[in-house]
Amino acid sequence: MHIEVALFAHLSEFQPDGRAGRGARPFDVAEGTTIGDIIEMLALPDEPRVLFVNNKHATEQTVLAQGDRLAIFPPVAGG
Amino acid sequence: MGRELLRVDMSDLSVTREPLPEAWRRYGGRALTDAIVFSEVPGDADPLGPQNVLVFSPGLLGGTSAPNGGRLSVGGKSPLTGGVKESNSGGQAAHALARLGIAALVITGRPADPNARYLIVIEADGSVSIERKDEWAGLKNYELAEKIARTRPEDDRYATIQNGPAGEAGAKASGIAVSDVKGYPNRFAGRGGLGAVMGSKGVKAIVLSDKGLSYTEHADKEAFQAALRRFASALKEHAVTGQALPTYGTNVLMNILSEAGGLPTRNFSEGSFENADDIGGERQRETILARGGQEHHGCHTGCTIQCSRYWLDKDGNYKTKGPEYETAWSMGADCGIKDLDAIAELDRICGDLGLDTIDMGVALGVYMDSGKIAFGDSEAAIDALLSGTRDGEPGRVLWDGAQATGDAFDVAHVPTVKGQALPAYDPRSVMGIGVTYATTTMGADHTAGYTITSNILSVGGTIDPLKPEGQAELSKNLQIATAMLDSAGLCIFVAFAVLDIPDAFTAIHDMLQAHTGDAWDADALVQLGKETLVFERLFNERAGFTNADDRLPSFFRKVPLPPHDIVFQVTDEDLDSVFDWVPETAREMGLLPSEQHKRGVA
Repeated sequence: MHIEVALFAHLSEFQPDGRAGRGARPFDVAEGTTIGDIIEMLALPDEPRVLFVNNKHATEQTVLAQGDRLAIFPPVAGG
Repeated sequence: MGRELLRVDMSDLSVTREPLPEAWRRYGGRALTDAIVFSEVPGDADPLGPQNVLVFSPGLLGGTSAPNGGRLSVGGKSPLTGGVKESNSGGQAAHALARLGIAALVITGRPADPNARYLIVIEADGSVSIERKDEWAGLKNYELAEKIARTRPEDDRYATIQNGPAGEAGAKASGIAVSDVKGYPNRFAGRGGLGAVMGSKGVKAIVLSDKGLSYTEHADKEAFQAALRRFASALKEHAVTGQALPTYGTNVLMNILSEAGGLPTRNFSEGSFENADDIGGERQRETILARGGQEHHGCHTGCTIQCSRYWLDKDGNYKTKGPEYETAWSMGADCGIKDLDAIAELDRICGDLGLDTIDMGVALGVYMDSGKIAFGDSEAAIDALLSGTRDGEPGRVLWDGAQATGDAFDVAHVPTVKGQALPAYDPRSVMGIGVTYATTTMGADHTAGYTITSNILSVGGTIDPLKPEGQAELSKNLQIATAMLDSAGLCIFVAFAVLDIPDAFTAIHDMLQAHTGDAWDADALVQLGKETLVFERLFNERAGFTNADDRLPSFFRKVPLPPHDIVFQVTDEDLDSVFDWVPETAREMGLLPSEQHKRGVA
C-alpha cells in the first residue's frame, strides 16, 4: 500500500530518497506495517519522538493504512 | 546592596527611593509589578491617565548568573484589556536594574505638557537624571537607539528601554522595546499596549548604565553555584532546551502545529497551512546560514538556551530579530503569507514602530477577512501597517489591535479574549490552550499557561488536545508555575526541562534560597505563583471583570475547524474552576475578600 512520510527538524536527513528537505515522500509498505516498522526501516536515531498520522497523535504501535500521512518530529518546542 | 523601589513621578519630575517594603521581600518580577499595580492603581483608573503606573522589575534571580535568569517584567493597567498587565521581555535591562539595586522602577504621574518627551538616565553610581528630549518625538526605535548611543561615553555599558511612535500615539497594541546583547532595540514587552502607557507619561527612553557593576551578591555563594550547576546541566541535558531550541529557534513549532491541525490559518478559518514549511524554523535556519548569519544567540546575558537569532536580508545585512514563531505565524499563516522575507519586513516595521507582532498579525488577518485587502498580499499588509503614521488611514485602527480592527471593519470572527488577540494555537484543536486564553488575567496569552507542552509536544506528560477532559487542571497548574517563573525572573522556556527533570525544579528553590538567604522550598514556589495570580485576579475584579469575561469568542464553540472539524468543548464550569482557589489564598495573604474590597475602593 502507499503512504506518505514527512520528517522534520534534523530527522529530514533520514529521508528515504536521500534528498534534502521535509516534503512528504511516497512510501510503499506491506499491509499491517506499524509506525515502529517505518522508524526501523529509516534507521531513525533512538530518541523520543512526536508522531502524527493524518493530523492526529499516534504511537509506534499504530498500524498504518492506505493513503495515510505520517509525520515524525524529534523533541521540539518553542512558544 | 539592598533592593530598592525607585520612583520617578513624571508630574513633577521628582525622584524618590525607598527600601523594598518587608511585605514584598519575597517578590520580584511579575509578583512585584502585580503587587504595586494592585496596591497603587484604582480599578477604574484611565490606563493613559496620571493614576496608572508603569513598573519595570527584574525577577528575584535578576543580576545573578542563574541560567536564563535575566527576564524583565513590565506592569501596569492595560489600555488594551482594561485589566492588569504583566508583559515579559528578554534583553539586558533586568540584569542592569538588579545590579543597580533596583527591585522595581516605578514611573507615576503624567507631565502637564503632552508634547514633552523625556529621557530618564540611571547611571552606574545610582544618580538619576531626567532630560527633556522633545526633538526625539516620533523617532522609530532603531534610530532612537543610535541617538541614545551618541549621548553615552564610548566605554559605557548600558541597556535601554525605548518607546516607538506607536506608543507615543497611544496605540492600544503598542509595546516597549528593550535592548539585546548587541544593543539592538529588538526584545519586547510587546503585549497589552504598555507602550501607550509609557507614551502617556512622556517617557521616550530609559538608559540603565551598569558599567563596572558586577553580579549581585549571594547570601551563600557556594550553595548558589552548586544549585546553578544542577540547573544548567538540566537545561543542557533536555532535548528541547539543549538541542531543538538552539538549533531551530521558536519557529520550529510551525510545522508541528500545522501537522497537528492547530495552526490558525487565514484568520482562524483552517488549522493547517499548506505553506507551513516555507515559513517554519527549518527553512528559517537554512536561509539565515546561507546568507552568512549565525545559528543562535541568547536574548540576554546568562541565557544558555540560546533560541534567539537574527534575520538577514538577501544582501546579508541585519534586518530584524527572529522572526519568532508567534510572529512568523501571525504575519504568515494567519495572513496567508508564505514568504519569510515579507514576514521579516513586517516584523521590522512592528519593531521600529513599537507594535506587538501578535496583535498586529491577527489584526491584519482580520482586516484581510473584511475583504479590504486579500489574504496572502504582503505588499498590501505592509502598506496598511505603515499607513498608521497618517491620520485617517486604516493603519491607525490596526495599531489598536485585532479587536478594534474587527469592530471598525465589521468582521464576524474576531479572535480575542478581553480585547487581546489570540496567539498561534487554535483552541478548537488544542483545547488546553483555549482554557488559558479564556481564563488568564492577561487577555488571550499563550505564555500564561503553555499547555502546548502536554497537548502537542509530549513534554511533562500527554493530554489529548482534541478532548476537553483534563485541560482545566493542566492550565491551572501551568498558570501557577508560570507566575512563579516570571517572578523569579526565569525564562519560561526553562519549564520544558523543569517539567521532565524533577531536580531542575528543586534547583530553582535552592538557587533562590542560596541567593536571598530566605527559606525557599517547593511549596514556597507554588505559593509565590499563587500570590502573584491573586493580585491579578483581585485587580481585574476591581476593574469590573467577572467570569463572563473568562470566555472565548462564541464562534470557537460554533464553527468547526478543519482538518479535525472540531469545536472548543471545555465547559464553562471547568473554565471557572481554574481560579476557584483564589479566595482562600487571598485570605491567607490578609487581603480583603473581593466583595468587601470592591466596596472599599471608590
